[in-house]
Formats: sequence, structure tokens, C-alpha cells
Amino acid sequence: MDFDHTPEQEQLRDAVRALGRRYGHPYFVAKAKAGEHTTELWAEAGRLGYLGVNIPAAYGGGGGGITELAIVGEELAAAGCPLLLLVVSPAIAGTILARHGTGDQRDRFLPGLATGAEKIVFAITEPEAGSNFHRLATVARRDGTDWLLSGRKCFISGVDEAQHVLVVARVEASGRLRPALFLVPTDAPGLTRSPLAMEIVSPERQWLLYFDDVRLPAGALIGGDPQASLPALFAGLNPERITVAAMGAGTARYALDRASAYAATRSVWGRPIGAHQGVAHPLAHAAIQLELARLMIGKAAALYDAGRDLEAGVAANLAKYASSEAATLAVDTAIQVHGGNGMTTEYGVATLLGGVRAGRLAPISREMILNFVAQHVLGQEKSY
Amino acid sequence: MKIVVLVKQVPDSGVERTLRVDDNTVDRGSAGNVINEMDEYAIEEALRLREAHGGEVTLLTMGPEKAAESIRKALSMGPDGAVHVLDDALPGSCAPATSKVLAAALTTLEPDLVLCGSESTDGRVQVIPHMLAERLGIAALTGARKLTVDADAVTIERQTEEGYEVIRAATPAIVSVWDTINEPRYPSFKGIKAAKKKPVRTLSLADLGIAADEVGTAGATSEVVSHSRRPPRSGGAKITDEGDGGVRLVEFLATEKFV
Repeated sequence: MDFDHTPEQEQLRDAVRALGRRYGHPYFVAKAKAGEHTTELWAEAGRLGYLGVNIPAAYGGGGGGITELAIVGEELAAAGCPLLLLVVSPAIAGTILARHGTGDQRDRFLPGLATGAEKIVFAITEPEAGSNFHRLATVARRDGTDWLLSGRKCFISGVDEAQHVLVVARVEASGRLRPALFLVPTDAPGLTRSPLAMEIVSPERQWLLYFDDVRLPAGALIGGDPQASLPALFAGLNPERITVAAMGAGTARYALDRASAYAATRSVWGRPIGAHQGVAHPLAHAAIQLELARLMIGKAAALYDAGRDLEAGVAANLAKYASSEAATLAVDTAIQVHGGNGMTTEYGVATLLGGVRAGRLAPISREMILNFVAQHVLGQEKSY
Repeated sequence: MKIVVLVKQVPDSGVERTLRVDDNTVDRGSAGNVINEMDEYAIEEALRLREAHGGEVTLLTMGPEKAAESIRKALSMGPDGAVHVLDDALPGSCAPATSKVLAAALTTLEPDLVLCGSESTDGRVQVIPHMLAERLGIAALTGARKLTVDADAVTIERQTEEGYEVIRAATPAIVSVWDTINEPRYPSFKGIKAAKKKPVRTLSLADLGIAADEVGTAGATSEVVSHSRRPPRSGGAKITDEGDGGVRLVEFLATEKFV
């Protein structure tokens, strides 16, 4: 078993870390609080090829895998700049297009994703169906060679920053409804949106989307055929889980770095507070949970990049579960170690609370992962 | 234009560095080794010159086998290739010996311009550009905060305590730069991948026609005979404010000639 990344992957890690640190958490928080986006960081990381590491080289990408993209996501988060749209645009949309897009779709969209110049966000969740795509109420009907898309979506990240949204809808095929993926321009007539106010310090906003007979050409259907959609959808889920787990692990690292530095220097009664086990042990415990999660992220990414999708599916779920729990614990511990300072904006740890807490719910809740493990790993009867 | 950039691998200045107990040389095994920070500015400047004038950028490193990591890392920023002078006789080389080796290597490379950082974060002696200029019979323009090249000449703004001086010399020449000259780029992912395939030529002392006893600890013109750790910082003066704190602070500053 080899636990080392390649020298190139380590160099990528160093380079992304250096870039992330130049921006830092205060930049991230300032952007979020001003209702702005991390445009400069996104553009620079995109130009350097960090956001497109996993996009095939033939389309201007790095030709790497999810391992590389997870490194990028983790290091930016560890520098205090978790970029949520990295999980959505290159990880989900990039993978789906690269693996299941038609030639035209790949030519049209992958070069923009490779440089970060274009963003594609992802819309699956609905108010009534959650993420259960068998119950999605957003439906596309044929109208000549076009499609007419109707329905609504919720909790859709970054729609205001993206040129396109990849919509999971359902279409009628052989007498029944089956999932189908469509690329919809965010300015398409009939598509309206309203912001969803969230208690998360994040430059990415959440949106409600309403599709009212949005007319789409035949070429908007991923893979050109509804049959292609289910495998395409599944292709996007593992990269999503692995990169979101990496982002959580990076956030946990950032929080523990801050807390460790504080505990080592904050002196009360002549000793640094970290010299007390009541402070040091919770930090050590969080560090252990974090490292275990990172190991599983590395394993999931390696399995995925080796093309072992089924095994990667289990590992990606485990990694996502472990990472979101570790990140929540790390941020909570970091706040506790900081005392009252932990809740100030200045010390930059409480600003992570909403993000890591949401990580236990999205993109898949911890309960759904427990269901998955109970059913598919332990062979228990499906509970829902 | 052919540009050669001198790149040195040094112990990471961000962590505690030590000297070896046995021979008083820098302990390169104890800390992480990185590209000398100032050299990154020289690489960046070389790449900008290549972008503006065409040509090629070659890195030149003298160092142990481990320096290969730093060469790959430096190549990921964009240079075309590198030359690594590697020889078991080299460790412990003093500045004159180092300059002898680098000058010999530069002679084989025939550059129009040699760039380097103004100092290394480990040795900090700042003499290598001057020694190379002397050995190669070319001009040394040191401490540049700005650099322009036209026809057969190079012009720099040399940073000084008071301001800057403008210096111009014919090429070939050697220019050392400060960190005020530019903002080094981050390696792109493509650059990182491309660096793996770039040519790195290894030269031994024999290749350069230098005898082993002219360099290394054996040929050193100077030797560090002993070293000790800097004593811990002493307490300094503490002023407790009893209504006259401000006055006493100013008095202290006046005694130290700060005000």
C-alpha cells in the first residue's frame, strides 16, 4: 500500500497552498459578508489550471484525476478559502461532460471548465423530492426536436455566478419517467430564480429555481439520449462526494491550525493553555479524526481514478461521512479552545460554523450515508 | 537570448535551521529544503525576458542529489531546462570554489545574461555574482529592483539604502535581483507536469575540468571552526506606567537615538 502522492501531486499541493495563503480567510470572509464572490481567487486558480486539473488535456485541462482536484479543494480550504463551486463545476459537471457528454457538448463546455472561465452549477434537489431522483417533479416534454422544461429546484449553489446549470429532470421514455440531464443557460427565458437566505458565511449563494416551459434545443440533453442520463448522473456523484470531503478536511485543517497556534501562544497563569490536557486532548482527538478522514478521502480518490467505480462509491460515502463529522468537530473544538475569542470575526473560526454544519446535510446527509452503509455494506433491509 | 538562472537549494527559512556539529556546515538533512526564495524572483524575471524577447532559460544548480527536487520545482515555473553540477567532492565548498565551479559551467552554456538572487537565505554572503563576473570577465550588476534589456546591453535600477542607481552594461553580464523586482508566478498544473519531462543535464567536476582537491572541504579557503547558538533574548527594559510612562518611553528612545 502506497500512502505517498507523486512528486507532481505534492508540487500541486505546495503551489495551491501558496496561492490560497496569499488570499487567506479574511479575504474569504470579507467577500462573503459583502455579498460578493471570490472572483479574483477563482480566476487566478483557474488560469493556473488548478480548477481544471481533472479536465482532459485534449480540452485544455490538466488531464489529472479526482485525486488532483481533491488536493486543490483541500489546500484552498486549508488556507481558509473553501471554494464550494469547485465541487460543483469541475467535479460534478466536468466529470459528467467528460465521461458522458456528446462530442459537441465536450467541445463547447470543457475548455471553459478547464480554465475556470465558465462555471456550470448543478440542480438536482427539489422541495418535495429532496435528492431522490426517482421522485423528481421537474419534467421535460418533447416539442418537435426541442424540449420544454418545467418544475422547480431548491438549494442550488452559485447560480448567479454560472453561465449554465446542469438540471436533473425526468423525461418520458417507453411509457415511464426516467431521469435526464439538461444543460440550461442561466439566462434562459422562462427560468427565474430567487435567493434563499442561509446562515452560512459563504461567498456562494443558494437559490430557488423556477422553470416555466424553458425551451431547450435537442443538444441540451446530456449524451444526446435519455438513456445516457442515469450513468451520467452516477458518474458525477462520486467526484462530488470526494471533493466535498476534501473541502471539509481542508476546513478542519485550517480550524485546527488556528486553534493549535492559539493554544501554544495564549498564556494563562504563566503557561500556554495548550499545556493543559483539557485543551490539548480535544485538539488531539479532532486531529486524529481529521487524519482518518483524509486517509479515506485519498483512498476514495485513488479508487475512483483507477476506474473502480463500485468500490469508489462506498469509499466516497465513507470519506464524506468521516470528513463532515471531523470538520464539525474540528471547528467546534477550535472555537472552544479560543474561548470568547472563538466567536469573534477576527479570529476566523466561528465563520466556518455554518459551512461545516451544512456539510453534515449536503450534498448527502449523514443519515443517508448510514442507510447506504447499512444496506450495501452490511446487507440490511432497505429502511425507506 | 540565452539566459541562465543560478538556483540554489537551501534549508527552509520558515523553520529552525541548524549547523552540523561535526563539520560546522549547514545541516541540509534536518529541515525541508526549498528553492532559495530570492532565486524565484530571478527565475520570474528570466521568464518575463523570454516572453518579451524570445530565447531560452536554463537553470544552473550546484548541489547534492537532493537538489534535483528543487530543480524540478523551479522548472515547473517555466524554464526550458537545467544543468545540475553534482559531485561527491563538492560539499563544503567555499564561495571562491563555488564560483570556480559555476564559472566553468557557465562557460559551457555561453549565456547572454546570467540572473541570480541577491543572496541565499543560508549563506547570505552576496559575493557569488561578483566572483563570477571576475572569473568570466563580464560585468556584475547587483541588487536590481528593475531590469531592462535592449540590443547588446542590460540596464538595471540598483536598489540602495537611499534610493536607486541606474547602471548599464554590455552583455553578457550577470545581474542579481531583490524581491522588489517582481512577483514570482505560481507554477501552473501544466507547468508542473511539463517539468517532469524537461531536460536536466548532470555535470561532474571531471566534465568541467576541475580537480577534486580544488573544491569542497579539502579546497576551502575558509573554514567555520566553531559555532554556538544565539543566546536567548534577554528581558530588555520594562517600563511600568506610574503616570510618567510616556516620558520614560521617550527618554529610552532618545538614549537609543531613535528620536
